Amino acid sequence: MTAVIETRSLSKWYGNVLGLSDVSLSIEPGVIGLLGPNGAGKSTFLKLITGQLKPSIGGARVFGQIIWNNPKLFSRIGFCPEADAFFEDLTGWEFLVNLLRLHGFPGAEAKRRSERALEIVELVKDKDRLIRAYSRGMRQRLKFAQAIAHDPEVIILDEPMSGLDPLGKRKFIRLIRDYRGEGRTIIVSSHVLPEIEALTKNIILIHQGKILATGDIHDVRELIERHPHIISLRVSDRRRLAGRLVKEDFILDVRFEKRPDTLVIETRQRDKFFSLLPALVLEEQIEVEEITSPDDNLQAVFDYLVGK
Amino acid sequence: MKKPVLRVFSFFFFLTKRSRRTRVFFFFSFLPVLISLVFKMDQVFKATSASVMPTFTSIILLFELQFLILILALFFGTSICSEDIEGKTLSYITTRPVSKPAIVVGKYLAYTLITILMAGAGTIFSFLILNAERLLQPSLYLELFRALAVLSLGLMTYNAFFTFFGAVFRRAIFFGLIFGFGWENVIQYFPGSTQRFTIVHYLKSLLPYSGSKVSILTFRLEPTAPGLAVLALFLITAVFLGLACLVFSWKQDIPED
Amino acid sequence: MGIRKKGYEHWDGTLMEHRHPWWPITRLGIKLAFRKKSFKFVFAGAFLPAFVFLAGVYISERIEDFQNMFHSSSSQKFFEVNPAFFRTYFSNDSLLFLMIMIMVFAGAGLIADDLKFNSLQIYFSRPIRKKDYVLGKCAVLLFFLLLLTVVPGLLFIIFKMVFAGSFRFILDYPWLPFSILGYSVFLSIFITLYTLLLSSLNRNRRYVSILIFAVYIFSEILYGIFYERFREQYFSLLSIKSNIQQIAAFFFRVRSPFRVPVVYSFLILTAIGLISVAVMRKKIRSVDVIK
Repeated sequence: MTAVIETRSLSKWYGNVLGLSDVSLSIEPGVIGLLGPNGAGKSTFLKLITGQLKPSIGGARVFGQIIWNNPKLFSRIGFCPEADAFFEDLTGWEFLVNLLRLHGFPGAEAKRRSERALEIVELVKDKDRLIRAYSRGMRQRLKFAQAIAHDPEVIILDEPMSGLDPLGKRKFIRLIRDYRGEGRTIIVSSHVLPEIEALTKNIILIHQGKILATGDIHDVRELIERHPHIISLRVSDRRRLAGRLVKEDFILDVRFEKRPDTLVIETRQRDKFFSLLPALVLEEQIEVEEITSPDDNLQAVFDYLVGK
Repeated sequence: MKKPVLRVFSFFFFLTKRSRRTRVFFFFSFLPVLISLVFKMDQVFKATSASVMPTFTSIILLFELQFLILILALFFGTSICSEDIEGKTLSYITTRPVSKPAIVVGKYLAYTLITILMAGAGTIFSFLILNAERLLQPSLYLELFRALAVLSLGLMTYNAFFTFFGAVFRRAIFFGLIFGFGWENVIQYFPGSTQRFTIVHYLKSLLPYSGSKVSILTFRLEPTAPGLAVLALFLITAVFLGLACLVFSWKQDIPED
Repeated sequence: MGIRKKGYEHWDGTLMEHRHPWWPITRLGIKLAFRKKSFKFVFAGAFLPAFVFLAGVYISERIEDFQNMFHSSSSQKFFEVNPAFFRTYFSNDSLLFLMIMIMVFAGAGLIADDLKFNSLQIYFSRPIRKKDYVLGKCAVLLFFLLLLTVVPGLLFIIFKMVFAGSFRFILDYPWLPFSILGYSVFLSIFITLYTLLLSSLNRNRRYVSILIFAVYIFSEILYGIFYERFREQYFSLLSIKSNIQQIAAFFFRVRSPFRVPVVYSFLILTAIGLISVAVMRKKIRSVDVIK
């Protein structure tokens, strides 16, 4: 399959601050998750491949053409920006219709497409309300609607689920999954692994402006699984719980912290541990006051990948 | 480029019509109408037949030429390149199949038309009120047409000039105020060719009353020939709009510090 | 299982009795204003009239040495340091213009930006009241305005006595420092409330910047138009600048520039201040009502 988006040594500096460093990628049709913590360079990368930013070094091509200052390509690209910003004096309907007219669609066609896009994002009954009266979830869905209304081949979504409640996120994931069509390229950026996992198997891991890994999500998951997890528990009787846990072979280490009620567990099989814990505490009549994961799993993977 | 420009024009004309700020500026533009009503009522009550043209002149010259069109152009002109960046809505426009110069030109045309409608409406109503008893004289409308033409040319030129300011300067309003109310006023007191380094000089050269003394505004106008003045205004417009398009083409969507 | 303890730490200290909740707002506002290079430039430039007048104070004590500068007795009169000199400084066009420019820079976004970014909810989720918020914002502008008025005014008196080598000046005009203080405070409060009124009317800082300038200039132009037509000095009440000049004349006990009772100017400027307070009370609230 020919690559839709190609970058070659793509780099971007903001003054002295490095935004993106030496990114060379070929993105083929399909859904790709762009994963990385806050400040990793996801938005910079997406803005570079949508021509919002000019590369400091290297270049980005979409459909074989340089994207910077090439507006004709945008009839085939849809972009959903991260910023929560709109033309607040417009209604949702007016916003979509007018943006479609900017594409060159005649009035009737713009209205038809707007109606369709609003149906897809379930905003039809709120279409005549001013955007400033929309909730956060509605605004995110409207942003998605304007990205898909002109039926682009490439859809780029920058943190489309940020600020949404769990129900909103589920709706959004369903939306994107339903919208996957033949031959379309959808790039979704996020810093939350489960969100990306629900959408696609193909991910690009980015950190501190560099690509750490690309490929199947299961490969990345295995890396997480191989890397031990640390879980901290504050319980009413840590010795009794420790005695039970230490018998399990998937528990690598059990430590008592300085605080008299805190226990730290190290395990490679996080899911197994959390499946066992409720039964254990019920059986032993132990009260659990707090459960935390002191190491950020995504950060832990990145640290692992960069050899820290 | 023509069609994308028209599309952008249509989008921003629609958007600006809906904006609350536009209503406030429309109100500002109608203040000469209120002033004209006061003058007219005074004339009626005092039953004088004194000419109202000097009043109309002082309204145009003082209020509209040296204040209203500057304020309108300062706000709308600087908005062309900077409001979408400040409001973080730039990506909605630049990810459509319209070039950046088309965006600038389309917005410029939309805002210039709106500001001309604002200033023009106020001027027309003031004129009609002040000349209520002479409305059937055709020659009267020549004066109105000339006033409207001067205001339109002024808005066209100032909008282009401040579009460039908005593209280049982060503090475009500050520099715009310095230019509009500092430079444009002060230089008028200088004799000779120095006056030609202002936009208002060419506008005043197109008005027949500019030689008359107005107490608040005493100045020595050495007017440029009308044909040359119009040419100069178009040239200034083309140059600064072109420069604005060039600068905006290289603008990137980087959040301001 | 119930949750018996929360994980956060309690602070065992005691809150101060005599708090000034507005002070952090003021301090931040001043700090943010000085962060802008262009503001520093404009603020420094605003002291230019003060330096010019200070030179005038110096020349007034060295009239004989500067005889060549004076072509007539009237120009020599200009360098007499008396209450009229102070009135001229405090109501001159360039100083007022520069004060308005400083308000454009430092004041336009004070409330407008908080409305734009929904920061009022953050403010009012702290133990501050509306009046603390308004006082904090006012104090930012009062700081700059009083620096431009009180400080140069009192310095003129001090330098006059230093250059003269005697206390004669203050003995001749013992009320002058109080006039300087009184007028500076009145003027600064008015300009502060005027600026905050416009800042609270809209979320767009650029729009507010233009309004601050436009309303001030427009009032002057309006006076010009009506005076040109009717030749009545009462129209000076339409102009903010003219009203300020009237009040300056009152405070410095010199002849009013307009044949209009000073009390009208006081009433007009006070009314603008009261309107400002009323509008801010309505606009500044922690809950945004979307219609």
